Amino acid sequence: MNKQKIFISLLAISIPAIALLPLPDFWIVQLNYIGLYALVCLGLVLLTGVGGLTSFGQAAFVGIGAYTTAWLTLNTGISPWITLFIGLGLTAISALVIGTITLRMSGHYLPLATIAWGLSLYYLMGNLDELGKYDGLLGLKSLSLGSVNIGQGRMFFVLTWTILIVAAIALLNLLDSRAGRAIRSLKAGSLMAEAMGINTFRYKVTIFLIAALFASVAGWLMAHFQRTVNPSAFGLKMGIEYLFMAVIGGVGYVWGAFVGAGLIKLLDDYLQVALPALIGTSGSYEVIVFGIAMVLVLKYLPNGIWSLVANKLPSPPRKIDWHDAKPLSTRTKPALGELVLKVEKIRKQFGGLTAVNDISFDIHAGQIVGLIGPNGAGKSTTFNLITGVMPKTTGQVFYRGQDISAAPSRVIARQGMARTFQHVKMLNDMTVLENVALGAYTRGHCGVISSMLRTNKNEEQRFMKEAQQQLERIGMGQYLHELAGNLAMGPQRLMEIARALCCDPALLLLDEPAAGLRHKEKQELIKILRQLKNEGMSILLVEHDMDLVMNVCDHLVVMEFGTLLTQGTPSEIQASPAVRAAYLGMEH
Amino acid sequence: MKNKKTLLALAFTALTSTNALADIKIGVSLSLTGPGSGLGIPMQKQLQLFPKTIAGEKITLIVLDDATDPGKGSSNARRFVKEDKVDVIYGSSITAVAAAMTEITSEAGTTQVAGSPVGLPPGKDKWLFRLAQSNSVMAHALVEHMKKQGVKSVGFLGYTDAYGQQWLDAISPELDKAGIKLVGIERFARTDTSVTPQAIKLTSANPNAILVVASGSGAAMPQLGLVERGYKGKVYQTHAAATPDLSRLGGKSVEGTFVVSGPALLGDQLPDNHPSKKLALDFVQKFENEFGANSRNQFAGHAYDFQVAMEKAIPLALKKAKPGTAEFRSAIRDSLETMGRTVFAHGVMNWTPTDHWGYTIETGVMTKVVDGKFKVE
Amino acid sequence: MDFSIASILLLDGITNGAIYALLGLATVLVFTVTRVIFIPQGEFVAYGALTLAMLQSGKTPGTVWLLLILAFVAACIELIACWRHHHNVSRAVRSAFKILVFPLFISLTTIWVAPQMFPLWLQAIISVAIVTAFGPLIYRVAYQSLEDATPLVLLIVSVGVHFAMTGFGLLFFGAEGFRNPSFWDDRFAIGSVTLSGQAIIILISTLALIVMLWLYFERSLSGKALRATAVNRTGARLMGITSHTSGQLVFLMAALIGALSGLLIGPTTTMFYDSGFLIGLKGFVAAVIAGLASYPGALLGALVVGIIEAFGAFWASAFKEVIVFTLILPILLIRSLRSGHADEGH
Repeated sequence: MNKQKIFISLLAISIPAIALLPLPDFWIVQLNYIGLYALVCLGLVLLTGVGGLTSFGQAAFVGIGAYTTAWLTLNTGISPWITLFIGLGLTAISALVIGTITLRMSGHYLPLATIAWGLSLYYLMGNLDELGKYDGLLGLKSLSLGSVNIGQGRMFFVLTWTILIVAAIALLNLLDSRAGRAIRSLKAGSLMAEAMGINTFRYKVTIFLIAALFASVAGWLMAHFQRTVNPSAFGLKMGIEYLFMAVIGGVGYVWGAFVGAGLIKLLDDYLQVALPALIGTSGSYEVIVFGIAMVLVLKYLPNGIWSLVANKLPSPPRKIDWHDAKPLSTRTKPALGELVLKVEKIRKQFGGLTAVNDISFDIHAGQIVGLIGPNGAGKSTTFNLITGVMPKTTGQVFYRGQDISAAPSRVIARQGMARTFQHVKMLNDMTVLENVALGAYTRGHCGVISSMLRTNKNEEQRFMKEAQQQLERIGMGQYLHELAGNLAMGPQRLMEIARALCCDPALLLLDEPAAGLRHKEKQELIKILRQLKNEGMSILLVEHDMDLVMNVCDHLVVMEFGTLLTQGTPSEIQASPAVRAAYLGMEH
Repeated sequence: MKNKKTLLALAFTALTSTNALADIKIGVSLSLTGPGSGLGIPMQKQLQLFPKTIAGEKITLIVLDDATDPGKGSSNARRFVKEDKVDVIYGSSITAVAAAMTEITSEAGTTQVAGSPVGLPPGKDKWLFRLAQSNSVMAHALVEHMKKQGVKSVGFLGYTDAYGQQWLDAISPELDKAGIKLVGIERFARTDTSVTPQAIKLTSANPNAILVVASGSGAAMPQLGLVERGYKGKVYQTHAAATPDLSRLGGKSVEGTFVVSGPALLGDQLPDNHPSKKLALDFVQKFENEFGANSRNQFAGHAYDFQVAMEKAIPLALKKAKPGTAEFRSAIRDSLETMGRTVFAHGVMNWTPTDHWGYTIETGVMTKVVDGKFKVE
Repeated sequence: MDFSIASILLLDGITNGAIYALLGLATVLVFTVTRVIFIPQGEFVAYGALTLAMLQSGKTPGTVWLLLILAFVAACIELIACWRHHHNVSRAVRSAFKILVFPLFISLTTIWVAPQMFPLWLQAIISVAIVTAFGPLIYRVAYQSLEDATPLVLLIVSVGVHFAMTGFGLLFFGAEGFRNPSFWDDRFAIGSVTLSGQAIIILISTLALIVMLWLYFERSLSGKALRATAVNRTGARLMGITSHTSGQLVFLMAALIGALSGLLIGPTTTMFYDSGFLIGLKGFVAAVIAGLASYPGALLGALVVGIIEAFGAFWASAFKEVIVFTLILPILLIRSLRSGHADEGH
């Protein structure tokens, strides 16, 4: 963290330094353009690189910011400093409207939607009389501070790059916070994030809004830099170019935005002159190079150019400064033997197929209940029904007296039911500590703004302390600063359990926790589960490994073809001929 | 011996390098791609015939594409002014782009000669000179012809871009003055796959004449669409369509179309006492020599006129200052303002310190497409 | 708006819709087999029309040079990849050569044929052959090594390919437009509506292509193999169906459809080097309406787009594009909600 602070301070100092150096004027012009583009790309880093939401339509938001200030400053006497905020307001409204509609789309539908509204907004802007139609608006004034004209030169450079650096710092702060971890979890699919209590849709809209606001500021600056606004700068082609810059620079990295914007602008300028000389005729052939470069980058360097640098730079382990942090608040746990979970006749039908057929069972505090059955019995479906991932056809589930039958998984997480997954869902490029801290999401409250301003330091320390404690609780203390993607399967599963424990649950739901574990690791797991049980935790386990199940469970629920076959203690189940028949078939 | 040679070599390089410093640099920004390419490309072609020296000074042309984008135009202008440090700028072929460039050129004190009729608030065009007839001039000629033909109602079928909009803005008042009704306004895009719906709407209003506002090869399709719908009235086209592409793509269907143009294209048809006849003939001859018979183009004519303007202004400016200096750039502007009545291929102009505008309202010439060629009406 | 105008607009919408349907079909085809959202589909249309236009004027179309360059690049990539995989030089050379054969043949043929002004139908066949050869080459160069990437990455690659192809189009065809002669000049009057021969050809060709595609996928072994790859790539590979071949085959079909569309649309409109993008985009809208999954849906969607465009142009021609592209948003929303919570994990 410190290295980054040093780097940023250097950058901050270099801005006025560069402004004072006797550089050719043209270089300053270039740097101004690069700064403007980098600001838009920064939004894309957040939206696309971190959030996984590809957007080709950022240029339209740049347009809203630019046109707002243009129209207002030309037709009314309002100062540009105020039109900035009016533009931000308008952008926010449109982003919220567009985002709420399009962000419900998954997968590749979203970028298509961004292409669609990018085109629509472009044609709309080009057809409105008040906005000068395709000619646009001309004659805008430069920005000025009091009697000082900021102009288009060095002072503008200082202004733009200061805004840019502030935005970059805010983004870096955001990404390393509770909200940041939530945002980073979006890319891995909403299943895990929702199970940790994160409202993924709200976060998607939030990052969409932030990216749009960054673009709007860039538009405001651009309008007063070029002193003319015109629809073609805000059309689909420009929207695609912004994405190009971000991807080529490295869309997952904040500094990738800088690299990408810089490289493309300089290349564009160079090619504008060099290509016609090379080819012999004038025309805009830079697109050919960009198109080919795009394909090459995605083939051979998919994480962008900055990834080369980032891989070489060592990332120091997080400084442990949270020894004195106050522990997070915990919820009251149920007394031993109290009814924790009541599953009543839950059923799931897919058309004519009944996957889960009126299953009922109870879990009491301090019990480890195993849900077993042959393959295809419907165990995972039952699991998903209970945890709110899948809607039930009929039936009810009560958790500590509360009816959670219709609750989505994030509400259930907040109540104190935490789960792990059959296929480990974690964020590979975050450390183990950060992954586990994600589990404590519901126990914090600092939002996006406090994260950006770094007023959430206290809460962060409490999170980290909790995460460290949970990891040490299950014996993973030595893995704190390891990248989650580097772990072997066993430690990964344990990490998921630690993450679930960070939710401060009264009921832990484990989906095949022993799958893929070696014998020794399974022994470890049994020890941990027993330890948790002794501490009062209730556990629902779906498992195939009979040894482990028989060893650790107090009560077993056996399913076959979606129906409850029988329930009982491990010895009862082992003796049951019905169970044996289900697993091994009838004896002839 | 060796020393002498080195001395000579040094002297030679010194001389040539000072000559290099004395190169006159002209920055050219044209729309070579995008909707305005029909206007920009012919200008670029003509500029290939630009003289290599004027008054003994070497001329360097730096040609950049602005893709019909004012943003790109202004960034080109910035480059010319800050990096290449040009002495004079020619551009752009599209008014919106040229206007954006003016912001930069006027601030930098570099003369800009626009190949398009750029409208600016008075006082803002201190450094801007226009070589092109404004759309109002051309519209006036069109409407006069319509009056003579007894046209009482007109339909409008134009591009959905700046060119279409400007023509609509230019011709509406002219039509009003002449008492001709504008009965329908339809728009289309250059890359549209059909204009049938628009054509239907216009032809069902059955105007006496329909004005098609498009450029270059884009001008043929709308007219073909009208013909296909059985429209039997008169069809008018703007000067951007005064290119061989119209007949190449339109074939028989565009015979008899009335196209307004500047005099530059019609040298061989102008009366002998027309002042521009000589230059118009010269332009057409040189252009078609290089680019083929019947390739003459309205907009290339403007580029030719730029050459004429430079050939007159640069020697005057050289008397006052050396190229590459702010004084020279200023001197070019002064020369253009004071060189008095100048004959161009497209007409006669007289720039003064208070008037940087182009041609008078009588400059437009009506032609008719006959056998694929433009004949003066 | 009376009945005769409405029927003319309807016909116009259907004729344009037929072209969009072809492109929509090609888009669905490519997506279902390779997961590539092929934005540059429209470029094939432009290349096809403009190649024919250049042949018509007796010049060697620039597409030939691009084809040769692309073929050599693809052959080199194949050479290196094959050698890396098999460490057998002769095998590598042979597979590289296989890539070169057809493009080389068609290019040389075209260069010889160009000044000779063959009849229209022969030139049309040559144009289609040239553009079709592009398909598998583009797949080999840009997409093959990215077979396992997410659809989003492939989408961005498609945008890159689109930019490159448009730029090359500008380079080889220039910025001015071209029109091809109609294949059938006659006009037929049906009631108050005139049907041009070209429109009839468009409608018949579209239907024919749809039927052929349907037969191919239902009845032929290689068609079924393509469907298998679309459903489960690994499973198909286990059955001996290489995804390389599937990919190249489906791109070949897409290029073929694109080239044919270019021929069909060339006579009715002036084609510019960048006309392909909007046409392809509308075909793409049609495919999205069909959820990028169903062929009849794409056909229906395309007709809807064409008709909306025609009526929209009649009522508010300046806002035609806004109408068409804003309409896609609710459709995308409905589609996305319907396809459920397919948690793709981006």
